[in-house]
Amino acid sequence: MKKRRGIMKFSGNTLYRRGASRALIAGIAVVIIIIAAAAIIAMREQAPEETPTKTTPPAATTPTETPTQTPTETTPAKPTLTGDIEKDIVAIGKYLSANGVKEAKFTVAGAGDPNSVLRTLAVVEAAERLNKILAENNVDFKITIEDNFRRGGGDQLAEDFATAFASATNPDIMANSYKHIARFAEEGYLLDITDFVNAYSGFISDFYTSLLDAVKYKGRFYGIPQDTEARPLYWRTDVIACLRDAGKGDILNVRGMELKEAVEKGLVTWKTVYNYAKTSVDTGCTEWGVLHRKGSAHPDLIQFIFAFGGVLEDPNTGKLVVDVPAVYKWLYVEWKMARDGIIPEDMMAWDWGKQIHPSVVSGNTLVWIGGTWHWTEWQTKPYFKDPNTGETRPLTAEEVQKLFYYTLFPAGEEGLSPVTLSQPFVWVIASNAGKDNPKYDELKDVYHMLAFLLVVKASDPDLNAIHSIISAHLPVRKASADLINDPGWVRKLANLEIELSDRVKEGIRDIVKATVNDINVRFLGDASYMLEYTKLTPIHPLYPRLADIYRDAVDKVLRGEMTPEEAIDFIKSKVNADPELRDATEIRGEIPSGWSFP
Amino acid sequence: MRIPKPNPIWFFLSPALFLIIVFYVVPLFFSIYISFTPLQNWNLARYLDQISLENYERLFYMAMNDPDVTKVVKTTIVFVTITLIFNVLGGLILALSMFFMDESLSLPYRLIWILPRMTPIAVYSLIWYYFFLGDESGTLNSLLLRLGVIEKPLAWGNSPELLPESAWAIIILVNGLVGVSFGMVVFYSALRSLPREHVIAARVEGASAFQMTRYVLVPQLKWHIIYVTVWQLLSLITTYAHIFLLVQWGAIDKWWGSPWALYVFNTAFTTSDQGFAAAAAVILVVIGGILGILVLRLMGFKKLMQEPKGEL
Repeated sequence: MKKRRGIMKFSGNTLYRRGASRALIAGIAVVIIIIAAAAIIAMREQAPEETPTKTTPPAATTPTETPTQTPTETTPAKPTLTGDIEKDIVAIGKYLSANGVKEAKFTVAGAGDPNSVLRTLAVVEAAERLNKILAENNVDFKITIEDNFRRGGGDQLAEDFATAFASATNPDIMANSYKHIARFAEEGYLLDITDFVNAYSGFISDFYTSLLDAVKYKGRFYGIPQDTEARPLYWRTDVIACLRDAGKGDILNVRGMELKEAVEKGLVTWKTVYNYAKTSVDTGCTEWGVLHRKGSAHPDLIQFIFAFGGVLEDPNTGKLVVDVPAVYKWLYVEWKMARDGIIPEDMMAWDWGKQIHPSVVSGNTLVWIGGTWHWTEWQTKPYFKDPNTGETRPLTAEEVQKLFYYTLFPAGEEGLSPVTLSQPFVWVIASNAGKDNPKYDELKDVYHMLAFLLVVKASDPDLNAIHSIISAHLPVRKASADLINDPGWVRKLANLEIELSDRVKEGIRDIVKATVNDINVRFLGDASYMLEYTKLTPIHPLYPRLADIYRDAVDKVLRGEMTPEEAIDFIKSKVNADPELRDATEIRGEIPSGWSFP
Repeated sequence: MRIPKPNPIWFFLSPALFLIIVFYVVPLFFSIYISFTPLQNWNLARYLDQISLENYERLFYMAMNDPDVTKVVKTTIVFVTITLIFNVLGGLILALSMFFMDESLSLPYRLIWILPRMTPIAVYSLIWYYFFLGDESGTLNSLLLRLGVIEKPLAWGNSPELLPESAWAIIILVNGLVGVSFGMVVFYSALRSLPREHVIAARVEGASAFQMTRYVLVPQLKWHIIYVTVWQLLSLITTYAHIFLLVQWGAIDKWWGSPWALYVFNTAFTTSDQGFAAAAAVILVVIGGILGILVLRLMGFKKLMQEPKGEL
């Protein structure tokens, strides 16, 4: 070995070393060339962004100087919003044009089920409509939109928005759940549009008041509602008929009034629902009495807290609230129903496609705590196993109408009110909106106004009504609800005779064909009354953490791992174990003594 | 004046070093730095200059007071320990059994064991999701119901009567079946490269398969065992992909089914609390580092790296 090493050393001191040095120098040269090439490419990629800002001054002076000799007379003053969209867009267009900006580009992103494409296409349509106004007024300026709609929930989109913000690659306008407003407003990612909204008071007053709370954080506006939904309690009519045939009375008639009315008046409470559900299981009319959505869909269950008269936050202190009496009653109802075989113990882990929806559409439960969007979901997804053919297929609109009756989420007990819960989708504007356009630092206020006008136009009653019908969401504006209740207009929509740009028309053609029918339109119109009872979960950055704890607690009581009393202790200990959450939460009240259920 | 000649070693090492520095060392130090900031919602501009020990204090407080964090710690210890044993011993047994097999049998056998590694994570996890599904349509429930072993379907990954062992068994099985093929490939390759004379000589001497394994084969696999053990240990400490999907889909209990790596992931990407997640990750890296060094020492890694004493 040593000898060999010696030979290596000997041979290496001349040719080897020289060769190695050359190889090393050549290698370093190659690396330098690669780095230099990469740097040149990187600089070229940056160049288009730099060019407009560097070359803008001459471009900016051209339009103002060339046409007239006296620029001071023709340069318009910086616009302010007046509430008249035609006037405002013309003023903004003229101002930007005078500053050398002939075209402004905005990006919009949204997420949702495949039928919710108008969450982004409505902004495309809005730009078309604004461009039309500009053209009619001979303003040399236009807006272009880059839209990006992705299927699925909005949570990933929200995370992507946050990660992209640092590099200013985020969308200018985003359609997402209102639940992200608190944390994004807190981080400064969202534009405070309170002043704009105040200027457009006529526009904003047409929105349902309860939904406006969803776009406010600490008293300031950070978005405009885009759509909403309600969470009705669905009742299987065939199970109700079975109970009637078995001599157990007619659930649909309560004290001489229709069930819907009795729920609304607070005469049917969760005690009543429990009794109906138990009877339906005991008589063998159905396997389960109550089913509800699983783990991540906790907002449905939060309705129990409101139904038992509880709160989730204190508006005076801004703190989250664990309302112990209401939370205890909710957990007790779940625990009791699971012990009595009314609800499955492993409800929170059921599979959507294999267990939950097939059970609901096949009548394996009396009651389903669902959402308005299920009405059309059952018509488009093959959850139903046809007993005649043995094949799985979607229900028809007629079947859904025949099999399901719906009411508000009943009051917890007598003396309290029924509720529903909404999680509106909203349009938010990024605080750096317009960033991709020239002279951004100088003109950003104007770009922000322009982004707001795009959202205002995208909220046009017809666009909002179309979105509601084709995606089975509830309208957020009264004017939209009026359109939905107008058979003539709906007929026009079914034939796509509404004035829309070609791009948008093509984008929704197939969806309109599949979803616009009298039954669905009537459902939306009928269900809209629920918005008067709607509640929202808190717009608080730490609320998701508290909601996760509630979800775990429900799972534990359903499985019998904890009694409701133990679950309350669990919730308290979890809140107190997280110093941040502990400081932001008030635990209020005690477990009620002497309270019984049912 | 003599210009110092650069060492050619650096030339050959530089591409790998560059990648390691850019993709491992820099992020590692960046993560350590982030762990001292209250970074959340990816707002680097706002939080990066706020240095404090708050995340570590909060983590310590939660470890002491939050029963779910205790569950995560216990799960991590059990999961890493048992899966490691399963992967190393399982890989060794598989490699040895294939070594004694006829090649025509050994090849399909190897392929079957390597299939879980080749299957996309989502597909592989979905198979297990339906296997352990809690109603009668779940594969395991359906099988046991037909055999009359159980009377009603069981929620394998969630039922309070079966927890925590059932959740642990599921995550160990799901990860173990992927991990075992790594050891198998390494050990089998090593066995195939052993001098045939040793095996022939042992056979001639009348050694049984067990004796040959015990006295001839395994002793020659020592370094491979060390390598696979350390590699698997470090992988298991940081693995979460398969488990993430099973927890996400509700197939296993959220806390009894979550090792520390998954807890870090969820904290960073679901609750968007990146500073806190970075602190939890740093703890994991430190523990991983200590354990790695400990295992290398215990198994005599220094000897492996020593120069051979004999002449070549």
